[in-house]
Amino acid sequence: MNDLGEFALMVALATALYGCIGYVLAARGNRLDLYLSADKTPVIVWGCVVVASIALWKAFMVDDFSLEYVWAYSNRDLDVFYKVSSFWGGQKGSLLFWTLLLTSYMVVVYFQNRKRNAKLVPYALVVMLTITLFFLVLLNFSTNPFERIPLPPEDGRGLNPLLQNYWMVIHPPTLYLGYVGFTVPFAFALAALITKNLDDSWIRLTRKWTLISWFFLCMGNLFGAHWAYLELGWGGYWAWDPVENAAFMPLIIATAYLHSVMIQEKKDMMKVWNMSLILLTFVMTIFGTFITRSGLIQSVHTFDEATLGYYFLAFLGVIIVICVSLIASRLPLLRSKNELDSFLSRESSFLFNNLVLLGIAFATFWGTIFPIVSEAVRGIKITVGPPFYNQVNVPIGLVLLALIGIGPVIAWRRATWAHLRKNFFKPVLIALVFGVGLWIWALPSNRAEVYSFIAFVLCVFVMSTIIIEFLKGTLARSHLHEETPLQALGSLVWRSKSRYGGYIVHVGVVFIFAGIAGSQAYGTHIEQHVKVGESLQIRDYTLKYERLGFIQENPTKTRAVAQLGVYQNGRRVWTGQPEKEFYKGQNQPVSEVDVRSTWKEDLYIILADFKEDDSATLKIYLNPMVSWIWMGAWIIAFGTTVSVWPDRLEARRRLERMKVQDAVFSPAQE
Amino acid sequence: MNLVHFIELLLVVGILIVVGFPLFGKIARKQAFSAVDPLGEEFKHLLVRKEEVLLSIKELEFDFKTDKMSPADYDEMRQKLEGEALTLMERLDELERRKKKGGKS
Repeated sequence: MNDLGEFALMVALATALYGCIGYVLAARGNRLDLYLSADKTPVIVWGCVVVASIALWKAFMVDDFSLEYVWAYSNRDLDVFYKVSSFWGGQKGSLLFWTLLLTSYMVVVYFQNRKRNAKLVPYALVVMLTITLFFLVLLNFSTNPFERIPLPPEDGRGLNPLLQNYWMVIHPPTLYLGYVGFTVPFAFALAALITKNLDDSWIRLTRKWTLISWFFLCMGNLFGAHWAYLELGWGGYWAWDPVENAAFMPLIIATAYLHSVMIQEKKDMMKVWNMSLILLTFVMTIFGTFITRSGLIQSVHTFDEATLGYYFLAFLGVIIVICVSLIASRLPLLRSKNELDSFLSRESSFLFNNLVLLGIAFATFWGTIFPIVSEAVRGIKITVGPPFYNQVNVPIGLVLLALIGIGPVIAWRRATWAHLRKNFFKPVLIALVFGVGLWIWALPSNRAEVYSFIAFVLCVFVMSTIIIEFLKGTLARSHLHEETPLQALGSLVWRSKSRYGGYIVHVGVVFIFAGIAGSQAYGTHIEQHVKVGESLQIRDYTLKYERLGFIQENPTKTRAVAQLGVYQNGRRVWTGQPEKEFYKGQNQPVSEVDVRSTWKEDLYIILADFKEDDSATLKIYLNPMVSWIWMGAWIIAFGTTVSVWPDRLEARRRLERMKVQDAVFSPAQE
Repeated sequence: MNLVHFIELLLVVGILIVVGFPLFGKIARKQAFSAVDPLGEEFKHLLVRKEEVLLSIKELEFDFKTDKMSPADYDEMRQKLEGEALTLMERLDELERRKKKGGKS
């Protein structure tokens, strides 16, 4: 099966190359036969990559240590669950997994659009095939997952213990689905530029793709934060690590795009801006991959064998040159037909939102590459840590939060003072009353608490605007269609899914802001060495260290488990069991934290160390409102589902358009 | 030849047949893409634009009802959109007539 997998990768490479050349020559030479021949390649390439992936998965399942990759990331005692996820645990497999997702997306695009949108789809497929080609070159000539070991060892080295967590099965695929998903809007944007079809077709075709990719990238970031919180055992969830930043930047730029594209659809403005944003989003996904795989930056998330830097740098350079030259050459066609009527308008608020988001993205980018720049220029590697990001991004983030509240409420075209008063009086009043109450209840005493205070007030402001929006919409609909309020609310959301789904996503974002504000400003922690029977105190919690036990889970894994009785106001409320796990062949033990999570706060316990007399060093964190962040993630998931839910009207409109398109184009119909 | 090599051979032959069939099949080597009909293209574009304008009128009305627009802006925008919708429909009717005529001749 290994031979077949390796061979399939080679065939995929040759087929992708033929597909790229075939499509281009068919377009240039107006050759239908060549077009129909090339048009088979996306499915063939996908099929070959599927065969290679099955071969690698099979090698993991049967413990085939003749493959260097299987030996490096698995062993006989590894759970089947983790054997599945070991596939993407290292450099080579993760690149194959990336290619598998990319080709799967390509095949979906192919079947979804094969008999329609014929002006753009072949070109979009060429772009996707070319990107696939790049990854296939890597897999065949640089990071072959089917590389053999001449004398196969009896057992493998095993998967990094930090990766033996169920989040490992969820987080990377989610993140990759987001990263790779942006290839689709990128491919259609390039196709639009190449063919000069610069109306809104490419935006409409990729609207749902963009939303779904954004959703996966967003969830990938949040799942990553949750994983770091539970697995890395340092009490936090986000460290502004370069690789975290690499996943965060495309998310921020894509968010900017999702908002500004609405202005293009409604007002036929910001065409260059939108085109640049979607291209930049894709460029940042490749930049993120470059950071992770180049070896330039060290991080817990980077791959051990980071040898692909030059390949990705060259690929990044080619993409940037192509994008910039295409936009420059199409500038006259991308000119907007309309201009901003007023700075006090929804259009302007979206523009400000974009500038703020790009500000955050740029600050993050600068902080990420500064160590590389400083080393290149001065020979000294200066690390940029969380204080820089917090100092820059927190104030900008607060402006963004305010704009989330302003954007949906402010009037289109131009807002008069009378309208501003009418629309903003209630939410501002509610936020002010809340702010005064909060100020009296918990007077901010340092900068973090001031920021946190502002964030809470803004969260209440945004929530008020959203609730008022739902109420206004429900009342208006109830009045217009004579429906009961509940019916009106249901049909309001159902008939304007993207608008109200978007508002629900905003609610999720508010939850995340509130969670960050609460946990960053009001958290506390202690670290103490205790003997069995001794107690620790953190705020109103008393933790009694009761015992230390050892469990031999399997021949390669031993767990040291501390037991703590947790008391609040004299009543036992929970038993905490933080662990240290020891793996055969691994030098460092791994901490498994235990967390008691409530909507109010997380009690987070780490077993930092223990001695022969069973005394232990314990770190206890009290992190307020962290669960709000994870709740926000689920609300975002719900809001996005509402937004992308298929629309019968839209489907009917698309069918109508297709009928006409089919009449003018025949190559894809054979 | 072992089984793996046989499967590999089958894979390559299968791909060559699938990819090569259009090149050596019924479709003539020099057959071109069907020409794009400019009338059809315009018709398609106008149809999409008509949907967008009708949707915009509905949204405009909803935005006005939920205080997202001043009465003056609402009137101006509504007039503009209704005017555009009328022009589009007239042009669509005309194209439809021309297509029918073309079909008959």
